[in-house]
Amino acid sequence: MGLFSSPPAALGASAIRNIEAAKNLRDGVSRRGFLQASAVGAAFAASMHQLDILQSPVFAEELKKQQKHVILIWLAGGASQLETWDPKPGRATGGPFAAIQTSTPGVSISELMPKMAQRMQHTAIIRSLNTKNADHGGAAKILETGRAVDQGIPCPDLGAMIAHELGRADSQVPDYVSMYSSTEGRRQGGSGFLGGRYAPMFLTEQMIPENTSRLETLSDLDHSARGDLRAFLANKFRSGRPDLSVDSHNSAYQRVRGIMSSASLFDIEQESLAMRAKYGPTQFGEQCLVARRLVEAGVPFVKIARAWWDSHGQNFETHLELVTELDHVLATLIDDLADRGLLEHTLIATFGEFGRTPQINSSLGRDHFASAWSASLHGAGILGGSVHGKTDADGQKVIEGEVRASDLFATIFQAIGIDYRKEYHVGARPVPITDFGGQPIRGILA
Amino acid sequence: MLNFNQLKSLKEVGTPEINFAITKLPDRDAVVVGNSAGQLVEFDLSVDKPQPRSFQTAHTSYVTGVVSSQGGLVSGSYDRKLIWWDPLERTVLREIAAHDKWIRQIVSNPDGSLIASVGDDMHCKVWDAVTGELRFVLDDHAAITPQHYPSMLFTVAFSPDGRLLATGDKVGHVAIWDFVEGRKIGAVESPGMYTWDPRARRHSIGGVRSVAFSRDGQTLAVGGIGAIGNVDHLDGPARVELFDWRNSLSIAELTDTAMKGLVEQLWFSPGDTHLVTAGGDNNGFITIYDLATRKVAKQEKAHQHLHGLAVDEASGKFYSAHHGRVVTWNIRDEQPQST
Repeated sequence: MGLFSSPPAALGASAIRNIEAAKNLRDGVSRRGFLQASAVGAAFAASMHQLDILQSPVFAEELKKQQKHVILIWLAGGASQLETWDPKPGRATGGPFAAIQTSTPGVSISELMPKMAQRMQHTAIIRSLNTKNADHGGAAKILETGRAVDQGIPCPDLGAMIAHELGRADSQVPDYVSMYSSTEGRRQGGSGFLGGRYAPMFLTEQMIPENTSRLETLSDLDHSARGDLRAFLANKFRSGRPDLSVDSHNSAYQRVRGIMSSASLFDIEQESLAMRAKYGPTQFGEQCLVARRLVEAGVPFVKIARAWWDSHGQNFETHLELVTELDHVLATLIDDLADRGLLEHTLIATFGEFGRTPQINSSLGRDHFASAWSASLHGAGILGGSVHGKTDADGQKVIEGEVRASDLFATIFQAIGIDYRKEYHVGARPVPITDFGGQPIRGILA
Repeated sequence: MLNFNQLKSLKEVGTPEINFAITKLPDRDAVVVGNSAGQLVEFDLSVDKPQPRSFQTAHTSYVTGVVSSQGGLVSGSYDRKLIWWDPLERTVLREIAAHDKWIRQIVSNPDGSLIASVGDDMHCKVWDAVTGELRFVLDDHAAITPQHYPSMLFTVAFSPDGRLLATGDKVGHVAIWDFVEGRKIGAVESPGMYTWDPRARRHSIGGVRSVAFSRDGQTLAVGGIGAIGNVDHLDGPARVELFDWRNSLSIAELTDTAMKGLVEQLWFSPGDTHLVTAGGDNNGFITIYDLATRKVAKQEKAHQHLHGLAVDEASGKFYSAHHGRVVTWNIRDEQPQST
């Protein structure tokens, strides 16, 4: 019997749907359909075993992806590349901070990042982003979606695409969590044409999601009994109506119950005092600790927005505060993930909508600058200690290895095993997951 | 006779660097500025077109303080060093690793026998200006803000009698020291200078940037910025708070929104009739308050942000250090001929 020939009669209806989905996957039509359909549990796992699907490198790759996670640290307002990853000490544009040698010979970063300097083995630096748009709103849209040109349709952001690719239909946790406590540049992002299923759980005012606890007037027993009754009626209704919309309705209830039960993931008081002390008492530190808890529980994509980088005035005092915190928290997050064996499965990315001007203005600030700026990647899939691209002596322009937003996104996709050449279909229109022409930066990938 | 109504720019010299600190050389119409290239540069302002005369290269970061003293010129820098200079030869006499973090400001006492320096290691250190000996270390400023970020010790000033020191930090804490006896004798708080906001701005770009004792020693002026409107510009009122420091009592607040930004410099006129404030946002300003009415008596826009100010009462001139410029100002009744 061929892999995709008629199924044996012993297989149940769900397995039949899975095989149909697998056919689609083989045909390159809908891997997501496969994942949604395949996520029905152990029965299907057994069926897969029977069919020896794991022998297929395509499926092995697909399953591997499910182990991957991304934490995006969004530096809202635009952090200065000169005070982080691309220092220019001794130049008029360089500012007052020195550069320090990292654990990778020949690679120096700002003295504000002594902890990250010792973690270059987990770090790839991109110093040659040229994303052209230096307006907050427009630039944020580019760096959220990886698309420089308006596609004429609402496009999903990075989190939604990764949630779509790596999320599991049977997951008990959210696929995409976005923590955006800051008011500066707050944008929810979104799932665009992928649909609301992949929209972020968007946390702004508090770290623990609202409305996820059981009503106090309802006992746990009653709550459970109501759920059982609903499931009984729903299953009875469904038994005579093999319809995807009915299944979707039921899975939505399952997800709500899963999210309710996962609310404790957002509660850092579940962590030891020693662990909380490692991350430190700042809001950003606590959010990164939550991000680790979410990733550990299986959330594919977590975004943490740390704002107030828009340093038009007093750039050096601003970066003295914020980079010091970023250095500590990022180093702690990397160490924590590594200690738990999660770093090889988790990619951490740091960037915002743009960088900052080499020119120092008369408020000792730096202004918006999208022509030559930096991002960093850490952990899964990257070549530790690598640096891509080069800017000129004053940091005014890219002189080697120019990178666009689409290239950055292709690199992220590739690092976590997502085919950057994949296409979505909006109606009959193909929309590539990576914007047209985007290529991964091979030199910083493992 | 000083007449602040006569405040007017006399001469402006453009520079490619950011000039942070300035001191007038004795007996000459010349200044030495400290700049963003890590240099000290002398300008002879008596000539028609002053040319820069650089000192020996010694600092490796921004020079944020330069003063004249009995031991020669002394400079302080973000490179953490204090350097004593021969002002004639423009060469290094002595170099001391003075602080563990950036030196924010240095001042000399009225007779030039002592130098006080403050840095982001949150120490105030008092040095013998002649020997370079460390005389006192004064500590009262927390290294970490209440929100767990690095604090900064921006400013220091001697009292006119040379007996007291005041030091001001990022969170608005000001300590007053009798350094002759080596002890703290008072403190005032100006939390309005600390612009950290848990919602609108989870970081701070304000802080106490200047302090000055009145001539009679009774009042302490504290300068900085008020509530900032825009997210990350210096878009807040230039703010000064006056204290009866012996009783830790705030007695007046002087704010100006016509010319905004940080108050970087403060100076009480003879007789405490006026308070000169200077600083800026992108632009610079000199704003002079009549202390009897606490109203603005005179105000002039300055070229870009003003960082440093030196006053020569004898000649009736201000000398100011700006982003990209050095400026001489007239402040006396009969305007001197432009030099």
